[in-house]
Amino acid sequence: MVGKRNLLLLLVLSFLFSPLFSAVVPVVDMSLMGIFNYKPSTESFHQLMGMDLKISLPSPNSGNVRGEVVLKATYPSGTLTLDDIVHKAYLRARFPSFRLTAGKTRLSWGDGMLFNAGDVLYGSSSTSVSLTQAELRDKTDWMAALNYPLGFFSFFETILIPSTSGRIEDAGFGFRFYTNVGETKVEAGFATTDAGVRKHKPYVSLQGNIGADWYLSSSVELDRQFTASTSDLLVTGGLFHSLYFPGDRTLTLRLEFLSRPLQSWAFTGQEDANCTLLLYPELVYSPSTSLSLRLRTILSPLDLSMNTTVGASWSVFEGFSLVGYLSAPFGQSSDLFNWEGDQRIALGVGASWIY
Amino acid sequence: MSKPVVKLLLTLSLLCIIPSFLFALTGDEVIQKMDEMATFETSVSTGSIKTTDRFGTKISTFKAWARGASDSLIEFTSTAERGQKILRTQSSLYLFYPDAEELIRLQGAALRQSVLGSDLSYEDMTEEKNTLDSYTVVLEGSEIVNGHDCHVLTLTAKKRTVAYPVQKIWVDKQTYLVWKAEYSTAQKRLLKVMEVISTVEVAGRTLPSETKIEDKMKRDSATWMTLDSLEVNVPLAANLFSLENLTW
Repeated sequence: MVGKRNLLLLLVLSFLFSPLFSAVVPVVDMSLMGIFNYKPSTESFHQLMGMDLKISLPSPNSGNVRGEVVLKATYPSGTLTLDDIVHKAYLRARFPSFRLTAGKTRLSWGDGMLFNAGDVLYGSSSTSVSLTQAELRDKTDWMAALNYPLGFFSFFETILIPSTSGRIEDAGFGFRFYTNVGETKVEAGFATTDAGVRKHKPYVSLQGNIGADWYLSSSVELDRQFTASTSDLLVTGGLFHSLYFPGDRTLTLRLEFLSRPLQSWAFTGQEDANCTLLLYPELVYSPSTSLSLRLRTILSPLDLSMNTTVGASWSVFEGFSLVGYLSAPFGQSSDLFNWEGDQRIALGVGASWIY
Repeated sequence: MSKPVVKLLLTLSLLCIIPSFLFALTGDEVIQKMDEMATFETSVSTGSIKTTDRFGTKISTFKAWARGASDSLIEFTSTAERGQKILRTQSSLYLFYPDAEELIRLQGAALRQSVLGSDLSYEDMTEEKNTLDSYTVVLEGSEIVNGHDCHVLTLTAKKRTVAYPVQKIWVDKQTYLVWKAEYSTAQKRLLKVMEVISTVEVAGRTLPSETKIEDKMKRDSATWMTLDSLEVNVPLAANLFSLENLTW
């Protein structure tokens, strides 16, 4: 019932924005999944129908001001607020020497698909992600940012994050510098945020190619007094490579790692918030240009537990794909991934359509 | 016919033949001319990529800007890929995904991945027009293709990083348009065949307005690349091929 109310709210918002439809071309992205899951802790089976709906209202792609409103809802879901449904609502204005972005959107700092120490604005170290999604990290938030080009492939960017408490001292701020040194991309930045506790996070991120594309990022979390504890150093990195075979068959290989090297390297008791070492291997095999088979795993090498998803996507018609996945955690009760609590083995089949 | 007249005719014939030997183009020269005719100082174009298979047709539309032989920017304007952009400059490829506001830099093998499930790779769409840097060329002879007298050339890759190790191309002797091309593996296994379906005259040059690429490894699979509009040698903003414009 809560999910249906949220969908109704989404539809009402769409209707309210409908005068814009005459000026823009709305894009609807929906996926419908039949999900069957087994909960080992209670030895019970469950079945449900799930839907992800996204309605995008982009501005006309011309002039010096652009923007977009994106509404998003998921069924089933808990109680969603208006802030949850409005996934993006921003404008972007291009001035002669800089660019302003303001509203609710995302800035992607650093490198990495799952693990990204350079993502000091939203955080990309948690393992609480759905490996069935195309975008593993898509969090947005309210902000205002200025981008200053320093050359064709270099820029300086600064961001202001509004306070959630209403107190100006709880506002956030950040900046980054992006450039190329030879064949290596170099990015460095800093963000200070207050989500209850003030944290300062400087980072550096490098990206290049040694046959395979590689990246390496590091950040450290400092407290209000700019001191760091041993738990706060985060290092991420990865390799990405594509292999091509006759008949347009491709195999893409990705391996990312996350490490908190100064944390405990114990073989048990690893937890998501302070896990010492995680690996993310991903294989995507495309036997044709319309079919892809995917294997994604988050692996904790210290306790040998993992969360694995095998998926397939078949682009049958324009904008329409059939999708399926099977996901399961593996590990013992004291491991990072296990069959305890709310963990489930899930099988999903369905379709996605964008129009 | 008198001896002096015969002698005159023979002399005139020799005078015609000798220049043709002296000025006959080599394979490298044909390729250079072909690249020159396909390269403009700047260009702005709109077009579509239509991919067909057993289940039907998928169409992606784009707008493209190019400067010289190596700078190009493509923005996809069709619904599913709306706002996605590709910037190619020298040895790097930058991709921008607006949904995630993500800027990705790729080099090396990633350039050969398929664009939007078509039979074209990012390298195909944004390739540098310096063919002689990547291939050795042998001029095989002449053939008539679609009523056009063409040079027939075989291109063999100098390095392993190219998409097609062996190419056979039919280049129009008058316009230097490539009417047909066969792309093969190093073992001469045929991978794709490209044919020009229709042409357009722009700034005194003949360019393909509709091209068909057939994947010979698959049944019933083909890609049509169509140019809906093309403007050449137009002023382009200095910062067009920059990260700022890519992420705008």
